[in-house]
Amino acid sequence: MTSRIILLVEDNPDDEALTLRAFKKNQINNEVVMMRDGAEALAYLLPDGDGDGDGRPCPALVLLDLNLPKIGGLEVLRRMRADERTRLIPVVVLTSSKLEEDILDSYRNGANAYVRKPVNFSDFAEAVRTLGVFWLLLNEPVPSLGPESN
Amino acid sequence: MFVALLEAAPDAMVCIAADGRVVLVNAQAERLFGYQRAELIGQPVEILVPDAARAVHPGHRAGYVADPRHRPMGAGRPLAGRRSDASTFPAEISLSAIDTDEGILVAAAIRDITAQLRVRDLERSSQSLESFIYSVSHDLRAPLRALSGYSGALLEDFGGILGEEGRGYAERIVAASEQMTQLIDYLLQLSRLSRAELHLQPVDLGGEAALIAEELQQGEPRRHVCFTIEKPVLALADRRLIRTVLQNLLDNAWKFTSGRDDASIEFGTAPSTDATVCCYVRDNGAGFDPAYAGKLFQPFQRLHAARDFPSTGTGTGLASVRQIVERHGGRVWAEGAVGAGATFYFTLDGKEGA
Repeated sequence: MTSRIILLVEDNPDDEALTLRAFKKNQINNEVVMMRDGAEALAYLLPDGDGDGDGRPCPALVLLDLNLPKIGGLEVLRRMRADERTRLIPVVVLTSSKLEEDILDSYRNGANAYVRKPVNFSDFAEAVRTLGVFWLLLNEPVPSLGPESN
Repeated sequence: MFVALLEAAPDAMVCIAADGRVVLVNAQAERLFGYQRAELIGQPVEILVPDAARAVHPGHRAGYVADPRHRPMGAGRPLAGRRSDASTFPAEISLSAIDTDEGILVAAAIRDITAQLRVRDLERSSQSLESFIYSVSHDLRAPLRALSGYSGALLEDFGGILGEEGRGYAERIVAASEQMTQLIDYLLQLSRLSRAELHLQPVDLGGEAALIAEELQQGEPRRHVCFTIEKPVLALADRRLIRTVLQNLLDNAWKFTSGRDDASIEFGTAPSTDATVCCYVRDNGAGFDPAYAGKLFQPFQRLHAARDFPSTGTGTGLASVRQIVERHGGRVWAEGAVGAGATFYFTLDGKEGA
């Protein structure tokens, strides 16, 4: 299981630290690749040019903030869904916003789940734990993305 | 015929000849510019043009006569008209040319758009307030998460070193950030409420109250509370919003009767005019000092210390109640005494009221 990586797209260093800590505390030992803005995330997920992206492991889960520098989370999601290579990767929007518009837009653009970052410390840790357990253990991955077929 | 049409036009109309002199005006134009008809006929149209634009106007006018298509004037630039007292007003002007035996006539339809601009400004400022509140609430949440997160991490990872007093401090940071989160949520909710569109429909408030009562009872099955709920109580309301009102009032009643074995909560209607429904939620709980009744509906005010009612909220429930009821055009007030329960009243349009 540890071969399956998590892509964390998050620009806030505190949220990053607390998310990583929550993974660690909950024995979710998958490699976490950090992306600190939308452009970086897209460059990783949808490399253009020849073979640039070869060898980059396809993430088993993308945790995507909405409010990101350069390219926003919704746009990242839109472009992921428009591209064969990333169309099926589970994306969980993990954000501060609970605006109905943001929730709707996320689902419309193909988010698999929408989770509002809880402010409370233990709620936050629990949310991250639940996400990890569900998407990395409980949920059956898309066959072509699963480690078995590689 | 043409003159009659001119008079019937909703806008102020001014017709000028090719030389720029006013030939015809309608009554709306007289009113708008503050001139009598006789004062305008034969005058250059520039007397209706603000001083700043007067010099360039004849040139524009000649340009139009050379290429007379029906079009709005000004090509997107803000236009203004000048009244007889030299004051000006923002205007929308459209031009059309009419061929007559005496040559070409240019008809200008002029509309005072002061009110439209004011509405636009208001909309713009309320939108920017909206996005300000949104970004504030979003941006404040992130540091709060860090406060709560790192104090929580301190407690978990270094609790032993901190000692009891140190842990107490860290716990207070966690609690304070929690409270601030709720305050931010309330701000956001208030701003959303103030712009939310009301979807009015007949709602059975009694039915809604009964559902909420059931949920409260299921949440704490051990408590014995006698609910008396009148139904149906029909009123014109936005179902979702009015449910929030009932939820807040019944939550309060539930909370403040927690010390009583014989708790009773009542939802009903009081006599009122035909057009309105006056509802109340009454409990026999802790009540309140009527001296502070005015503070009840103000945000962030609490009449009970958190230690007496640990589940006491942020003091925003009743402020939301007032906000929602007032959005519906109704009124809220409360009666009560310490130890003798409280009654909260609100009015709404009746089912036939609107």
